[in-house]
Amino acid sequence: MFFFTRRKFNFTPLLFSICLLTCSSAAFGADSLFEKQVVPILQQHCIECHNASTKDGGLSLESSQGLIAGGENGRVLVAGAPEESLLLDYVIGPEPEMPKKGKPLSKAEIEILRQWIKAGAVWPDGVHIQEAQLSQTDWWSFQLLKQPAVPQLSEADTKQVRTPIDAFLLAELRKKGLSFSPAVDRRTLIRRLYFDLIGLPPSPAEITKFVNDSDPRAYEKLVDQLLASPRYGERWARHWLDVVHYADTHGYDKDKLRENAWPYRDYVIRALNADKPYTQFIEEQIAGDILQPHSPDGVPATGFIVAGPFDWVGQIEINEKLIEKKITRNLDRDDMVATVMNSTVSLTVQCARCHNHKFDPIAQEDYYGLQAVFAGIDRADRDFDPNPQSAEKRKELLAAQTKHQQQKQALEAKIHTRGGKQLAQLDEQIAKAVNAQKGQGVEYGYHSQIEKTDKTSKWVQLKFKQPVTAERVTLIAAYDDYNNIKAGFGFPKRFKLEISDTGDFAATKTIIADHSQQDFPNPQNKLVNFELEGQNFQYLRMTATQLAPRSNDFMFALGEIKVLNSQGQNIAGQAVVESLDSIEALPRWSRKNLTDGKFYHSADSNEDLVSLKAERDQLLTSLTTADEKTALKTITAELSRIKQELDQLPQLHKVFAAATHFKQQGNFKSTAGEPRAVFLLSRGSEKAPVKEVEPSAPKLISGLNGTFQLKDPQNEGARRLALAQWITSRENPLTWRSIVNRVWQYHFGKAIVDTPNDFGKMGALPTHPALLDYLAARFRDEGQSLKALHRLLVLSTAYQQTSITHPEGNQIDGDNRLLWRMNRRKLEAEAIRDSVLQVSGKLDLKMYGPGDRLFVLEKPQHSPHYLYQKYDPVSEESHRRSIYRFIVRSVPDPFMETLDCADPSQMTPKRLETLTALQALSLLNDHFMVSMSAFYARKIKEESTDLSTQIQLAFETTLGRPPEQAELAILQSIGTQHGIENVCRLIFNSNEFIFID
Amino acid sequence: MDRREFLMSAGGGLGGIALASLLQDDCLLASAPASTHTLHHPPRAKRVIQLYMSGAASQCDTFDYKPELIKENGNAWDPGEQVQLFQSSPGKTMQAPWKWQQYGESGKWLNECVAPLGECVDEMAFIHNMVSKSNVHGPATFMQATGFILPGFPGMGAWISYGLGSLTDNLPTFVVLPDPRGFAPNGAANWSAGFLPASNQGTMIRPNSQTPISNLFPASNNFITKQSDRDVLAALKQLNQRHEQERAGDSRLNARIQSYELAAKMQLQAPQVLDLSNETKSTLNMYGLDSTSYEVQEGISEAAEIAYFGRNCLVARRMLEQGVRFVQIWSGADNGFPRRNWDSHEDIKRDHWPLGRGMSTGAAALIKDLKQRGMLDDTIILWTTEFGRMPCSQGSKGRDHNPFVFTNWLAGGGIKGGTTYGESDQWSFKPADPANPTMCYDVHATILHQLGIDHEKLTFRHNGIDRRLTDVHGHVIKDIIS
Repeated sequence: MFFFTRRKFNFTPLLFSICLLTCSSAAFGADSLFEKQVVPILQQHCIECHNASTKDGGLSLESSQGLIAGGENGRVLVAGAPEESLLLDYVIGPEPEMPKKGKPLSKAEIEILRQWIKAGAVWPDGVHIQEAQLSQTDWWSFQLLKQPAVPQLSEADTKQVRTPIDAFLLAELRKKGLSFSPAVDRRTLIRRLYFDLIGLPPSPAEITKFVNDSDPRAYEKLVDQLLASPRYGERWARHWLDVVHYADTHGYDKDKLRENAWPYRDYVIRALNADKPYTQFIEEQIAGDILQPHSPDGVPATGFIVAGPFDWVGQIEINEKLIEKKITRNLDRDDMVATVMNSTVSLTVQCARCHNHKFDPIAQEDYYGLQAVFAGIDRADRDFDPNPQSAEKRKELLAAQTKHQQQKQALEAKIHTRGGKQLAQLDEQIAKAVNAQKGQGVEYGYHSQIEKTDKTSKWVQLKFKQPVTAERVTLIAAYDDYNNIKAGFGFPKRFKLEISDTGDFAATKTIIADHSQQDFPNPQNKLVNFELEGQNFQYLRMTATQLAPRSNDFMFALGEIKVLNSQGQNIAGQAVVESLDSIEALPRWSRKNLTDGKFYHSADSNEDLVSLKAERDQLLTSLTTADEKTALKTITAELSRIKQELDQLPQLHKVFAAATHFKQQGNFKSTAGEPRAVFLLSRGSEKAPVKEVEPSAPKLISGLNGTFQLKDPQNEGARRLALAQWITSRENPLTWRSIVNRVWQYHFGKAIVDTPNDFGKMGALPTHPALLDYLAARFRDEGQSLKALHRLLVLSTAYQQTSITHPEGNQIDGDNRLLWRMNRRKLEAEAIRDSVLQVSGKLDLKMYGPGDRLFVLEKPQHSPHYLYQKYDPVSEESHRRSIYRFIVRSVPDPFMETLDCADPSQMTPKRLETLTALQALSLLNDHFMVSMSAFYARKIKEESTDLSTQIQLAFETTLGRPPEQAELAILQSIGTQHGIENVCRLIFNSNEFIFID
Repeated sequence: MDRREFLMSAGGGLGGIALASLLQDDCLLASAPASTHTLHHPPRAKRVIQLYMSGAASQCDTFDYKPELIKENGNAWDPGEQVQLFQSSPGKTMQAPWKWQQYGESGKWLNECVAPLGECVDEMAFIHNMVSKSNVHGPATFMQATGFILPGFPGMGAWISYGLGSLTDNLPTFVVLPDPRGFAPNGAANWSAGFLPASNQGTMIRPNSQTPISNLFPASNNFITKQSDRDVLAALKQLNQRHEQERAGDSRLNARIQSYELAAKMQLQAPQVLDLSNETKSTLNMYGLDSTSYEVQEGISEAAEIAYFGRNCLVARRMLEQGVRFVQIWSGADNGFPRRNWDSHEDIKRDHWPLGRGMSTGAAALIKDLKQRGMLDDTIILWTTEFGRMPCSQGSKGRDHNPFVFTNWLAGGGIKGGTTYGESDQWSFKPADPANPTMCYDVHATILHQLGIDHEKLTFRHNGIDRRLTDVHGHVIKDIIS
């Protein structure tokens, strides 16, 4: 169905019906012809390129004004004269020039246009053509979710059914004449289950125990044991973090560190281990800060919304006036919308950013409605109280603090009024001094070129227009956070200070100070004064004879030089600054910054302020009555008690999450909870806002209202909560289908719907729709427990089949979509690394906390450099499970990347699997693999001194079975010639280690 | 994964379009992906070298000659509209700090800063009306590299690897030679495979470093020898073959055995490619490589630029000879201090001279060298940068960002030499015809076209969208192809 808008009656739906009329217009009024027949033609064939915002060829066919204005080639239409109208000319003929894309117009359509032009090309006022929008909701995933009946099977087949999913699978297999493959042996089964549920291999002892367990519930017990293990949450959190593109850095060009992202990662692990009902899991991640602001989980859970990249330059550096700011915010919200909607309801709503969704019934307005849901938040660090009691207490104390502060201020104000002119003058002087103290702006001072050694000599000098007489020179060191140096940055170790009448200091010069023979203590933020005692000179030069260290290199920097004349005035500003060399990096470093009066002040460097304040205090004391003094004392005591109590409260926690309040950083300001206005953007262009939109959810599910009933639409938290509840509504079939499909994929290797993030028309169709609905409905209605879902799947006959193929199955269903056998799993990057650590005896099972940095970090000030090649993987602190890696967005760990780990720049619903030469080289030669082979060998040697036993031990610990004779012979020959280390290296590279049957 | 999928995704093997015929022989091609069927038309080129100037190289100090800037130098600059700059307000009109001269039969004006390319102008096609969607280094760098301003999209090299596959079993298909001082903004994301199979990602090689290819040889240890390496690989093959025999019908198992053999070939081939010792003295001289080793420094100097860029260009030629399909060479690292890229906000003269001389020496040598070896005919060279610089000063001796106009040039591979396409306006501020700028989509479409690929047909379904290198844009620039 298509629509166009008209001023008087908005959104009039019209049927697309070109065949009603072929050549005669007599039966219809001109208006009606246009709206019913011409509009659909323009809408279908022209408007995509010729609208007011795209205006291809300069032409817009959105409104009559556009039509009349024509395009680059002038007038396109002559009313009443079809033959003279370019518009018609373009679309007729065997190879018509238009439309550029898509099918040519049909004869009937051309005829309608011809008749319309002939009849005067009437375009009623106010009719505005918009792009067509899909409204068809007749698609499998949008249908209501009902639990289908379990298929009836023959008596013999029913015996194969362990859980209902077997019945659904077997019913389909039978249609093709197939059945399940035989059950796999217990040794293979336990290995399969371990990797699947916890991502680590079973030890030989665990295998033996299971193989020999005569309890008929042995397997079930094993499943429950693994699901109860904390290792389960660590394994399955990684799957969810793939989908939400979690990382510990911001991404984009600077890719700065995101130091407080990990509490969200920990939340996901905890939530999975605790088996939180799915509704709670989703609602917390979208609006946990609203639902339970003072809990360990509420705020960190919203790390979900902000898990994607953060454009540091766009948000912090670019000022509000530039269009890039709007682009940044639009793309930032776009990522939030995509993260939430793709992961929870498998809808690619982001396709509707620039135009109505081409394939799914999602209008641009629906999309921007979703952006509006997130219009009140940003990605930022925020504090929270994980404990409701301390939150309550903190609130009380803060209120009391405010109250007492106000009382104190009121009293002080009263006293202040008695101070008269004297006090006012003092206040003014203090304000001036304080302002001076803030003088450290962006202008730091002078900075020389950088040298590899500190033995190079560098000078900077003041050149006055004519000789001057001065009393004192004051040097003020520079201040820069670089390499954590701060005050005293670049102040030379040794230097001398000279004056002269010539610029080359060749002939006549007087040495004011010579510290070139002994180190001069770094003054940090103290002023360094040298008395000139009325000497006359034109040039003043400071020569650094030994440079200051920076980071493995050396330079000379100085914040300010003051030259005071006999009246105490600073005359340095009259001089020109010259130097041997300089890094002119405006605004911070420049020669001219040396005499600009702007430098870093501290209490030490500003004695004025201290004495002024003392004078003021004295004056105020004299004006205060005894009663007032007592009152002030009481208030002060109370304030200090409050502060003490505040300090004793548990510290606030910090997490990078959805934030409405945070400290301003550069141009990045919080919304303070006021949602920003969101506009529907024509073609997704910030330059073409069409209208402001209200927060809403898509309206494609019948019976599920996408319009929110918000008491206060400006309450941003209520917007998110409304969307969360729309997603977790029992009536939303997408949510339940989406999650069970994901879980299925991770167990069986292929999902029922092979595009887990896209259940729309561009996505795949379900291979087993009834099974999917059965799982989804049961999951939704029976406690929403992921662990119960895992049990249902792994206890099935289907899961316990062998992965060995047979010709019949291969022929009928080569891709194994029907599951006539189990799929062999190629281990993921994390499982490989964790297993290698475990068998080598190096795995550290410490949970939670900041990520492990498997790289050396350099130059974190501007664009951090993440240098993996400089990191030593032998170092013990990095031997935790891979889920605790510090994940760099733009520079993935090359070892893990080669093994196909998820790229956190994109949401990864399904990892791609590759087998490359680079992968082989990584497993053979990477420092991690080589050093673990050595550790593994050392561990094995501790357990036995006999080579043959060592080999058997190494083999069985890694691969879960003893070697056969022939295998032992092959390994024995390697072990004898090259040592057990090389045997370990070989086993880590074997196909049997990488592929799980 | 079946055999077809494996071959499609295996980095060392043939992939994509080139693979289609191979698969047809094998009767494995039941339904080839629509995206990678067969070449869409006869190709003019087989290989690509992309020269990427990071930090935004100034067009008005190199290739885009504007007499107006010389005439108005030092006068107030008034383009007739309000100009909003990235980090400053517009200063005075500023000419290039060096002289311009005409070269070749085409009479192309080049600045002294890139004069070594003068000998090659008749091989080159210049586009002076390039426009970027972003004024910020990160997104704009992505745009020229991947066609999108957002992270997560495949680089052009990854698309070409995906579409055409490899010409060799012994080396990666897509090689990246970064600036030895570090990565450009976005780092390795500029050459990622994005949503394409990981085997299409750029493989980073650092010719100026001790270990040019990571993991090519074992990390330091006390138990691996050449002999043990050989024996372990042989034993591994035996074990893996036994394992495979018991598990018929899973082509991945054999594919993995193959991947170890490809790795061994790469170990032999890669060091040879990087070893410049058998290049003649005259070749080395042409690339400005008087000595074959040069210590990497943090800052910028003319000698260093010639050494880095020249070495990367020469290594690139050697890679192409051995069948590498796409080489990306970077000049310039991130935006730190001291400057180590083309982002000359403070002083054009200070940075652009050494960078320009280094780049043009290497690039000219590359063009001449490929030509004398008969390889220029089927190798496209693309010179690009994320955006341009303003015709006015930034209140100093530097220039601020100009997303509205910058220059690209191409050479070889059926590109029409001695052409200039798409003029900028009289100041080199915006395109002369603002309604019809050239964008990276057009350049990418043209390069794919020369390689025999219709840019609208090379697609990959991701998150519900059939993604293209050229998004929903792009026109082949017919005027610059012969």
